[in-house]
Amino acid sequence: METLNLPGGSGGMHLWAIATAAMVAAGCAVVGTLLVVRRMSLLGDAISHAVLPGIVVAVLLGGRPGGLWVLVGAVVAALLTVWLTQVLHEGVGMSEDAGAGVVFTTLFALGVVLITLAASRIDLDPSCVLYGILELVPFDTLLLGGVEVPRAFLTAGLVFLCLLGGVTLLWKEFLASAFDPAAAAAAGLPVAGLTTGLLAATALATVAGFEAVGAILVVAMLVVPAAAAELLVHRLHLVMGLAIALGVLGAIVGYLAAWQFNTSAAGMIAVVLGIEYGLAVLLAPGHGIAARAWAAAGLAWRVACEDRLAVLWRAEEGGEQAADASGVLTRLVCLWLRGSGRIAADGRLLPLGQTEAMLIVRSHRLWEAWLGRHVELPLDHLHPPAEWIEHHLGSEVRSRIAADVGQPAGDPHGRTIPPES
Amino acid sequence: MTGNFPLPYNTLVVAGGMAAVGCAAGVVGCLGVLRRRSLAADAASHATLAGVALALLATGRRELPVLLAGGLLTAIGSLVVLVMLRRFTRTREDAATAIVLGVSFGLGITLLSGMTARGIPGSAGLEQFLLGQTAALTAADALLLGCLSVAAVTLVWVGMKEVVLVAFDAPFAAASGWPVFAIDTALVALLAVMVVVGLPAAGAVLVTALLVIPPSAARQWTDRVATMLVLSGAFGLTAALVGVAISAAVPRLATGPVMVLAAAAIFVGSFFLAPKRGVWARWRQPRRLEQEGSAAGREQTQAPAKATGGSSPWKP
Amino acid sequence: MPAPLPVSNMSPQVSPLLEFHDVTVAYGRRPVLWNIDLSVDGPGLFGIIGPNGAGKSTLLKAALGLVPLAGGSVQFFGQPLRNVRTRVGYVPQRETVDWDFPVSVFDVVLMGTYGRLGWFRRPGPRERELARDCLARVGLADVASRQIGRLSGGQQQRVFLARALAQQADLYFLDEPMAGVDARSQEQIFAVLSALRAAGKLIVVVHHDLRSASEWFDRVALVDMRLIATGPAGEVLTPENLQRTYAGPLDVLDELGRAVARRERTP
Repeated sequence: METLNLPGGSGGMHLWAIATAAMVAAGCAVVGTLLVVRRMSLLGDAISHAVLPGIVVAVLLGGRPGGLWVLVGAVVAALLTVWLTQVLHEGVGMSEDAGAGVVFTTLFALGVVLITLAASRIDLDPSCVLYGILELVPFDTLLLGGVEVPRAFLTAGLVFLCLLGGVTLLWKEFLASAFDPAAAAAAGLPVAGLTTGLLAATALATVAGFEAVGAILVVAMLVVPAAAAELLVHRLHLVMGLAIALGVLGAIVGYLAAWQFNTSAAGMIAVVLGIEYGLAVLLAPGHGIAARAWAAAGLAWRVACEDRLAVLWRAEEGGEQAADASGVLTRLVCLWLRGSGRIAADGRLLPLGQTEAMLIVRSHRLWEAWLGRHVELPLDHLHPPAEWIEHHLGSEVRSRIAADVGQPAGDPHGRTIPPES
Repeated sequence: MTGNFPLPYNTLVVAGGMAAVGCAAGVVGCLGVLRRRSLAADAASHATLAGVALALLATGRRELPVLLAGGLLTAIGSLVVLVMLRRFTRTREDAATAIVLGVSFGLGITLLSGMTARGIPGSAGLEQFLLGQTAALTAADALLLGCLSVAAVTLVWVGMKEVVLVAFDAPFAAASGWPVFAIDTALVALLAVMVVVGLPAAGAVLVTALLVIPPSAARQWTDRVATMLVLSGAFGLTAALVGVAISAAVPRLATGPVMVLAAAAIFVGSFFLAPKRGVWARWRQPRRLEQEGSAAGREQTQAPAKATGGSSPWKP
Repeated sequence: MPAPLPVSNMSPQVSPLLEFHDVTVAYGRRPVLWNIDLSVDGPGLFGIIGPNGAGKSTLLKAALGLVPLAGGSVQFFGQPLRNVRTRVGYVPQRETVDWDFPVSVFDVVLMGTYGRLGWFRRPGPRERELARDCLARVGLADVASRQIGRLSGGQQQRVFLARALAQQADLYFLDEPMAGVDARSQEQIFAVLSALRAAGKLIVVVHHDLRSASEWFDRVALVDMRLIATGPAGEVLTPENLQRTYAGPLDVLDELGRAVARRERTP
């Protein structure tokens, strides 16, 4: 068998297998992004299972695995699934989740039974349907321009190009219908047609992935890279691009890991994709776990600093000695305040610290004035809400409040409100 | 005289055990469908494979109780992960379920394949947990599964009122002081147990079908929860027995798909033939008293799954 | 003929029946109710009025513990809710329910008795008798065995009212009970509420319609993220107060809430 001219003969076969997996992942990422963004991930799950009888029937009727008829059979099965789900929903009022669950599991079971009964005439093994035969892909080749190219790679490549082309052509329409289907339909976009197209695309991606990774792991390839990308970037074309990159990366790393650990490539790819998603959850800027923990710690620190400054300022205002710093956090805060030139070594406020403290106390007392004027809370109710909000008022909100209350000189308790600067 | 019994003892016990399993799956599945937790059960079922493999790897023992205990651990683990994804990430529920389902199944396949490649004893036998094979069950196994099923049904009988209350109107239940989260968790745990109990019979991929199809069929025949539970149990039992019988007659057929097709046949029959809700009945009595209620009668609930965000994803 | 309502043995209370003490509620980081101080002293029909999105339903849900309090507390008969749960009844908004659920009208009303039954006990003849009685009181005795999806909007609302009656409470919360209900059902519901009032109960109703408010309620509270006014309906529902509540531009409060949410996200 011809291989690519690489040192180490069988390296070429691995290369083709990796290339096929990567191509499948790319195609799935394109479709999967749209599924995830339109909250149709479970449709991907359903269709990837339901296409099985379509594939089997097509092969039984003489189609070649991976050939055109198989693709047609898959799309027919996908549309059948959706139609049956609608029939159940409208006919007997079944919720669509439940109806889809009934339909696709039944179709999948039908597919498995057909394969088993027709085992002599068909080349598919039921358990391979579940996790693919990526390792054998390089052995089924077509001669293309003097090179033996795996048929599965060609199928996956063609599907990917079709999907990419279709999505690019209809980008505006997909974007609008993903963001707000109702508004898009009202604006005259063929949302129904787009959805049907998306279903067909899912079926194609599933078939392309069938030989590589099997039915269930196609779900991982559809959803996981897109979900991870969604956590990291926020424009649709970026999400799709990143999903493709993550999918391809997962396919390559997964295959290599499976080679290293001598286990199923399909399973390993799914696991690697899961790890990618986990990393995205942890490290996403803004909403990731690490980022949020950091932000929460930052907020707690700022609040503690401001509280200490305010305590010192109120003590000086009243001519008393401030209570000593107690607790680890407050002592750390005092160290930092001293180091940053906000308080002196003996605990007095320096000009920088005084300015900041005044703004806090101003926020607090302005808010009490506002509450006192508009909400008619009794005097003893004013302090706790102001304690909380004093840390969250910026200068524009303060000026709004001050304007609203008529630039008061004192709060409801009669204490002076410090000026803004 | 052994000629009195047409079937050997073993087969009878297995059949009896599987009947109990099918019945319990139908009953517990009813509550899952009413409380809209079937998808979570699907994710859990795909995760059991990894647990079964890990159990074999860790203990080296192939007894069913050991393997199923491992499966239960990973099933519950996957549910915990699902809850955490919902709480701590922006990923929506449908995508989170698909992620847990796909990745945990991938992990299971990785372990299974790796163990088989290394020739670890017993690993080849784990394949039957993919699609189920009752012919591989011993009488002792079937007895265990049967007893667990009976216990599950008993729990449903005891706690039915609380679960139905929460499933029907959770805010009202919470306002009345019921611990909605605890009741929900108990139900989901019971679903996970049921998934694991059904694993040898129907396999990881299709066991949730046994939790979803019989209740859907039963709903066609009745408007009362208690009747629905009984019918669903009966339908599940029948499907299980048919699966066992056919799978025994045609050994190369995995049991899971056959059980699902049997249940589906019952569902199709119910869809057409049930009085009042069946297609046949509605065709004969069109627009009978449907106009008593306003159109608001058929409203869907604010489903816990955010899958149907704006418009329906199922309408092409 | 339904049995007459037992007159409540609520002797003159020292503490108010219902008291909101400096209640603040936030959805996520954004406060939607600010420092509500509200006290309801005696039985009767009490209305909570305000524009859409003003937080009226939130006030109810916060009192019942369905949404967490960011500040303050709520007391029932001078105690926290968990001590007196069986004395509080609730009729939530209708949208939270799956109308295809396989329960009959009677089953739903019977659910109102579960609170007093406790864990795992089944409703017995006494509970069933009570449920039948409550159904008769709302005029739905003839549809007791119908599945709940096959009812009109007004009938559905009355089922939930009957369920709350079956709770045999002293204080009832109703969340927009008249929304989407035909006029005849509205009258029937109001008749039931009046009977409750006559029996000495306190009924707190979140109500969406200004015009009917002054007819139906003895006392009202005007709420728009904060408490604007409270007292007898005639005194509170003045043009001036209504102007402040309904016609005012977006409040400093709402801007404030958004500003707080923004700043907390990017410190």
